[in-house]
Amino acid sequence: MNPLETPFIKTIRREIAFTARDHTVWFWMIIVTCLSVLSVAFGQAEIKHQHVQIQSLVQANEASNTLESSKWNDWGSAAFYHYHMTYDAPSDFAFAALGQRDNQPWKHRIRMLALEGQIYERDVSNPSITIIGRFDFSFLAAFVFPLILIMLLYDLRASEIKAGRYHLLVSSVSHIASLWPLRTILRTTAVLLCLLVPMIFAGAINGTSLSTLLQASIMVLLFTLFWSVVCYIVSAWRQSSAIILTTLVGLWVVTAVVLPAGAKVAIDKAVPLPSGADILLHQRETVNDAWDIPKEITMNNFLQRHPKWANYQPKPPSFDWPWYYAFQQVGDQATENLSTAYRNGRLQRDRIAGWVSLIAPSSLLERSLQSLANTGTAASIDYEDRVRIYHSKLREFYYPKLFRHEPYDKTHLNKVPRFNGR
Amino acid sequence: MMMLQADSLHIKRANRAALNGINFHVNSGEIYALLGGNGAGKSTTLLSFLGFLKPSQGQVRVKGIEVKSNIAAARKVMTYLPESASLYDHMNAYENLKYFLQLAKRHVTESDIQHALNRVSLNQDSWKIKLRDYSKGMRQKVAIALSILRDTDILLLDEPTSGLDPAAIDEFHALIRDLANNGKAILMVTHDVYGACQVAERIGLLRDGQLVGEFSSHSDAPIDPQIVHSAFLRNK
Repeated sequence: MNPLETPFIKTIRREIAFTARDHTVWFWMIIVTCLSVLSVAFGQAEIKHQHVQIQSLVQANEASNTLESSKWNDWGSAAFYHYHMTYDAPSDFAFAALGQRDNQPWKHRIRMLALEGQIYERDVSNPSITIIGRFDFSFLAAFVFPLILIMLLYDLRASEIKAGRYHLLVSSVSHIASLWPLRTILRTTAVLLCLLVPMIFAGAINGTSLSTLLQASIMVLLFTLFWSVVCYIVSAWRQSSAIILTTLVGLWVVTAVVLPAGAKVAIDKAVPLPSGADILLHQRETVNDAWDIPKEITMNNFLQRHPKWANYQPKPPSFDWPWYYAFQQVGDQATENLSTAYRNGRLQRDRIAGWVSLIAPSSLLERSLQSLANTGTAASIDYEDRVRIYHSKLREFYYPKLFRHEPYDKTHLNKVPRFNGR
Repeated sequence: MMMLQADSLHIKRANRAALNGINFHVNSGEIYALLGGNGAGKSTTLLSFLGFLKPSQGQVRVKGIEVKSNIAAARKVMTYLPESASLYDHMNAYENLKYFLQLAKRHVTESDIQHALNRVSLNQDSWKIKLRDYSKGMRQKVAIALSILRDTDILLLDEPTSGLDPAAIDEFHALIRDLANNGKAILMVTHDVYGACQVAERIGLLRDGQLVGEFSSHSDAPIDPQIVHSAFLRNK
């Protein structure tokens, strides 16, 4: 038997031909394609902008350091005036899920000074975006796409009842499974393909790995499956299409809006955090106070944590670079508890939000795509941690030169650690 | 052969008795018309044969199959033509017929479809026009063509002549007479007393879910519409 003529294939061909004649399906397919192309294009434009920004900042920083380096005549001023570019370059899938890159910093131009204040001195290009978020693929797939599925599937049966065709259809069909389930599957597949193809196409342009694209597609597929099953079950309810639509939209509002928003309020209350501004302020106060207190107090605080420089004697009462950097570090030490609480608190909030998302599928999908794109809270904190590690390497590079009064040699500047921005 | 059989059939709809212990049967080659006013239980009877409504008491059998226990097998031998059959407006007559026949896994040729459409006197020019541009009568003809093409042993017709002009009604009666002569069992529900008397061998009169009268034709005389009409009015 010709494989295309088997009863199963014939049934599928029958419903494909039927679905293809349905203008409503075409309408939603066009809408989903347009939205998907737009979301991917917005994401792509933002990522391109971030890459250009990183490249231009790195170049500008290099140029500035080169220009300024002629004025440096000791290790203290070299460390003070030398700026270091740190950044978290977007991953090759970030175009699909911009995530926390909207409201968490992904670039810092840091110096050998106290670090924590530099980290929390935010650079958010457009604060209004932190409220509404960007229209990216993850938002489209997680929040808008279920509504389109609902519009496409809610009256699958109710419309046939209203048109007086229901009994004719059901009494005519040889296997009921080849009617409603197949119609649901075909309609869902049609719009799902319209959603995924632009994302996969953009992934191919960006060099996204096949496994990442596959994982993202599976995540979206499972999410779509969830909503299709919900629509299928609710639309089987013998009620008017208005009641079915209201029920489905109500479910969407609860799972996509009420639950995540309610959970956020509860989590914020359950896990209080110090603010980044508190850390910044406390550190600045500590650093500024250092000018007014005896150097010994600062140095004692410093040496408790760094006894290897215990032999160093500050030069009273004149300005002394090692002492200056010591009180910068003491500034970091003073905010260590606040900073750790802030970091761990954010991680804890993120972990709880992850658990809550198990009952809020839209949040779960959005978080999963962000995790795949390295744009979630964990990725943002990981970047901060990498900046801290990098900053400690800078200190490891400069401290021996400062505390041992090594003569300045600008050829050594080539050995200054460089940040690996991925 | 007894093709359709209702045995002490009770059906409840919205907590109210829609059918209250009716008994009747339809043999092969016979046209049986159920007459009754609005809400008498005519359509309920058809839907119970199709398995959409479950009896609270009694049973319905289709070709000996108890519908409740084997709905799929029962539906396979019946074709149902609903009142003002709404086929798909965005498809033409041809596409509608093909789709519904594919649904039923009934394989027919193009010439079978053409033959059926000719048989219901649907103008050939309109075969490829979308149904949204059809009159009610034309749609009904397509639905009748569908029931011809399904070629099942039993036809269940819900107000089949609704929307047809007098000439088309005559053609339709001739058509179902012909189908019955070829051994089909036909159960039709209708308001049309005169039409029913013209075409049916037997007429059952329904009132408040009960069969209150039954009339039969004889070989030499059809059912007298005056008698049925009087009974209909008495029991309205």
